[in-house]
Amino acid sequence: MAVAKAEDGLNRSAARKSFGMGEIVKRYGIYLFLVLAILVTTAISPAFVSGSNITNMLMQLAPLAVVVIGQTFVILVRGLDLSVASVMATAAVIATSFSGQDGAALTVLFASIAMGAATGLANGLLVTKRNVSPFLATLATMIVLQGFRFAATQGAPSGNVPPIFRLLGSAKFYGVPYNLMVMLVMAAIFAMLLHKAAFGRRVFITGGNPVTARLVGISADRVIIACYMICGGLAALAGLLLSGFVGVVDNFVGRGFELDSIVAAVMGGVALSGGRGTIPGALAGAAILVVLSNAVVMIGMPVQLQIIVKGVVIIVAASLYVRTAR
Amino acid sequence: MNLTRSKLGFGINRSRAGIIVVVALLAILFIIGIAVSDRFGTSRNLLNIYEQSTGLALVSLGQTLAVLTGGIDLSVGSVISLVSMLTSGLISGDQSMVIPVVIGVLALGLAIGAVNGGVIILTGVHPLIVTLGTGAIIQGIALLYGLGPIGKVPKGFDYFAYGRLPGGISFGATFTMLLFLLTAFLLARTKAGRYIYATGDDPHAATLMGLPTTRIIMLVYMLTGFCSALTGVYLVSRFGVGQPYTGANYTLASITPVVVGGTMLAGGRGGVIGTLLGVYLVSLLNNLLNFLGVSTHLQLVAQGLVIIAAVSVYVEKRRIA
Repeated sequence: MAVAKAEDGLNRSAARKSFGMGEIVKRYGIYLFLVLAILVTTAISPAFVSGSNITNMLMQLAPLAVVVIGQTFVILVRGLDLSVASVMATAAVIATSFSGQDGAALTVLFASIAMGAATGLANGLLVTKRNVSPFLATLATMIVLQGFRFAATQGAPSGNVPPIFRLLGSAKFYGVPYNLMVMLVMAAIFAMLLHKAAFGRRVFITGGNPVTARLVGISADRVIIACYMICGGLAALAGLLLSGFVGVVDNFVGRGFELDSIVAAVMGGVALSGGRGTIPGALAGAAILVVLSNAVVMIGMPVQLQIIVKGVVIIVAASLYVRTAR
Repeated sequence: MNLTRSKLGFGINRSRAGIIVVVALLAILFIIGIAVSDRFGTSRNLLNIYEQSTGLALVSLGQTLAVLTGGIDLSVGSVISLVSMLTSGLISGDQSMVIPVVIGVLALGLAIGAVNGGVIILTGVHPLIVTLGTGAIIQGIALLYGLGPIGKVPKGFDYFAYGRLPGGISFGATFTMLLFLLTAFLLARTKAGRYIYATGDDPHAATLMGLPTTRIIMLVYMLTGFCSALTGVYLVSRFGVGQPYTGANYTLASITPVVVGGTMLAGGRGGVIGTLLGVYLVSLLNNLLNFLGVSTHLQLVAQGLVIIAAVSVYVEKRRIA
């Protein structure tokens, strides 16, 4: 993949020489696994690939995938963002805080994304200027945001989501969900930014080795802050999509997305140690999460197994990456 | 690396610095409390704060050990939930089952910890991801066992949570405090204790020096599992029944007292006494905010701000860049 250029130019010649099993697993394992999961589930339950089920899965994928794109940026610079779910829920509450008419849609959009980016700025400043570990910094902003949200809504949000968000979140255009289109546009923009633009190279260099970054004249702090802001902004957008999908807004829209997005990115080959990973890989990770959750239900296993399967897959996937990275 | 670290430390042992900060914060909150309400400083209220700290203290004790080695245990909440379900479900009101079941679930806590430690060592995957995974699996098992509150416990089982020693002092909280003191003593005075710090400070160097780092990691996660199991038993004692999500909030909550108490997430610095004071700080803060009439919603904001304040004061290990 073109991506490898920016990512590990140094290792390229070595990688070319030994194109063994390990290398294949590392580069394409996630896609192979995705295909395998789909094939196995289809074999057991043909209804899995019915049009309605596929649309259903794609609609579930879209909001998660948007968050995963942002999470990928943050993990690439050796970070982690636990505040995304809180940002999502806050965006959903903002969506219902205005008139509930389409006239308010732009206001809602700007207010939400500004809130997400501001949260990202706070995360980034804590991480870079105060050397707070990303885990803690984003945990703290998550809690603060949750508190403000509860205080603002008195625990019971009410009001309507502007109809245009309902449309974007839950309607289809000739069978293609609108939220999937939004997701694909975001994926294209941010994959270009990460894998084709100068900013992306700065992200990989900063994540790969902050000392090198400084030596070649990159302001690592600014790159890191930008990554957190991208993540916050995308999480806010995902919150709007999800609020449009579920229709009703509660204080916990997006619950679980913080961990799911990290898991998806890690499964997709984004290394927690920073500097390695791709947007397509991370999106495949998100797709696997959705496919597995759906497969458990389609195969007729108890719903509780969803979470167990998820746990097993995280550990297995992560250990495969560690093994191939050696 | 070590150079930058000692420069940053200003020669103050970080764990001691942490304790000074927490004690100062406790004193400030206490003075504010006395100023705002006559009832705040009464022994009754203080004993109440002490009693309510038990659950968080138990789980944070184990979490501190994991963090000291540079790891983290995100499965604690699920272990608490599973253990609470098994405790009340298996005892099911039968007095004669109490002792075998409690021993059994504590052993289960140790076993789950051994699995966490084993997977971390064998796969080399970051503990954050491993325990996230095992946590999900354990939560799933708890839900397979039951989707709602299950079982009951005989009369007298609530002694752990509500029992009083002479003077009205909570039994559970005192038991927990003694457990902290014992752990602090063992950390300071035994080889294993010093190895825990060495492993967290620099695992590579510790291995090169011939320290049994794999055994230390196993030990630490087993103890963390044990503490979580104990918390599960405590919650059954407190609520009278096990519930499938009863521990969910403890996973992230257990991190707050650890870092507020001056233990670095990077490992190697800190200690359990700081954590205990951190737990008291959280309890005191919540109690004070109640007296101030602050809505429970804004109490969350206050907690988040305390974390930010604490971690900003301490400054984690300096990043290389």
